[in-house]
Amino acid sequence: MRAAFEKYRQAFLVGLQSNIVYRWNFAVRGFFSLFHLAVVFILWGAAFAGTDSIGGFDLRQTLTYFVTLLVLQFFISAFNEDYQISEEIRNGLINQFLLKPINYFLYRFSIFVAARLVSGALILLPLIGALPVIHDSLSFPSEPWRLGVALPALAMSALIQFSIAYCFGMLTFWFLEIQGFVILSMAVEAVLGGQIFPLDLMPEPIFRAAQYLPFYYQMYFPGAILTGRLGLADALQGLAIQAVWVAVLLVANQILWARGLRRHTAVGG
Amino acid sequence: MLHYLKVWGASARYSMVRTLMFRGDFFVWSLVELFWMSVNLLLVAVIYRHTTNVAGWSKYEMMLLVGTSMLIQRFLMGFFWSSIFEMGRNVRTGNFDFFLAQPGNIMFMATTRKLDPDSLINSAVALSVVIYSARQLGLHPGFGEVALYAGLVFCGLVIHYSILVLSVSAVFWLTSAQGVEGGYFTLTEFSRLPREAFKGVTNVLFVWLLPVVVVSNAPARVLLHGFEVRWALWLAGLAALWFALAVFVFHRGLRRYASASS
Repeated sequence: MRAAFEKYRQAFLVGLQSNIVYRWNFAVRGFFSLFHLAVVFILWGAAFAGTDSIGGFDLRQTLTYFVTLLVLQFFISAFNEDYQISEEIRNGLINQFLLKPINYFLYRFSIFVAARLVSGALILLPLIGALPVIHDSLSFPSEPWRLGVALPALAMSALIQFSIAYCFGMLTFWFLEIQGFVILSMAVEAVLGGQIFPLDLMPEPIFRAAQYLPFYYQMYFPGAILTGRLGLADALQGLAIQAVWVAVLLVANQILWARGLRRHTAVGG
Repeated sequence: MLHYLKVWGASARYSMVRTLMFRGDFFVWSLVELFWMSVNLLLVAVIYRHTTNVAGWSKYEMMLLVGTSMLIQRFLMGFFWSSIFEMGRNVRTGNFDFFLAQPGNIMFMATTRKLDPDSLINSAVALSVVIYSARQLGLHPGFGEVALYAGLVFCGLVIHYSILVLSVSAVFWLTSAQGVEGGYFTLTEFSRLPREAFKGVTNVLFVWLLPVVVVSNAPARVLLHGFEVRWALWLAGLAALWFALAVFVFHRGLRRYASASS
């Protein structure tokens, strides 16, 4: 057990080092995210000009939701893990893992955790810079239970995001090019994950249906818990559904890996 | 001029043949663009479920604005995106030599080599959004207004093209233009907002300094409010200014290009 932990700890440390090399890429991405935040502030500020409440929430609560989602995105989202896995399969780099006592999923997940630690830390810098400007627009709820429920929700969200990216990476066993599928899925995930608008602003039946999809638990669910858009009962029920999706996706990952390896041909030494 | 038209025609034919070879790719990428355009329209639909106007713009006025923004972006993606995006990579790898040896203006050759038919197909969808919104608003623009709208969309395209060339030209100095793609898409988000929504610093930055708002607002206003000299001249002037800046920076950068070692 200890030996296994040490193995993935080393993978995590390597991931940390290689992601620190790309710190400027993450920093640039973080900087441009502030422009996205400016669009959100301008659009929703104008939408709230004639009304005090949209969907039962005021402007500050709505803006807090988007700022929270931006931060979460850098801490728990899969960025380009699907491409990295795809490249490793296509270039035959996975061959080395087939010969060693290492689980490829856990290896990639260790690197994913390291990458999000680096990108998460780097989004905090521009955000701290912007804090004097946006501080008055933020309003977080004060109930302590939210943090307790949000932590497992965040951990499972990260697992769901990584698992979906892993599944797309696995598609490389069947398709030469997965970029189109990934960007297509990004559009679906952006909408049903609540990144474009809070999902509770959609018509009630669509919102209810969205709660049974994995995308809901990618961003909206932890974001809604932290920003007061979900009550305790809904949050606990959501945690249970989220756990089911984690299990389903982990099983899907293993099936795709096993099936994909049957199609894989390793050439050379 | 005719020479350049022939060169562009040959490039366009090559792109079409390539698209026919990879029909699956064409289908998937057309769908990708369609999905992302739908996301923008969905945002408008959701916001207007809860409010009647945004910065004085009604739902269909907003859709007309978003449709115009998407139209300009689809033209940029269709005619120039792949070529300009590859330019950054070619300068880094030294493959840019290929364009130096071609019989014509290097900037033209490097930025017009590839067409993306999937984006051009979707420009029809964006245009349909504009027409649908205009009909919902009961607008009946005359020939002059439609021609002016087309002219201002062209100016918007020139501005987008210039901004992208300017950004990617940074590769001549930095040897890497990574992140430009995301930066460009972030800036175009502003073009889907009404000009009246910008106040204070954002007004100065995104309306006056960067022409990201005026590119879509000016043509949309022609259909909504008829011919406004101030907006038309403003956009045309900005297009000329940004294009001149792009040409200048591109050629300054070209002097630094040292083939594969750059």
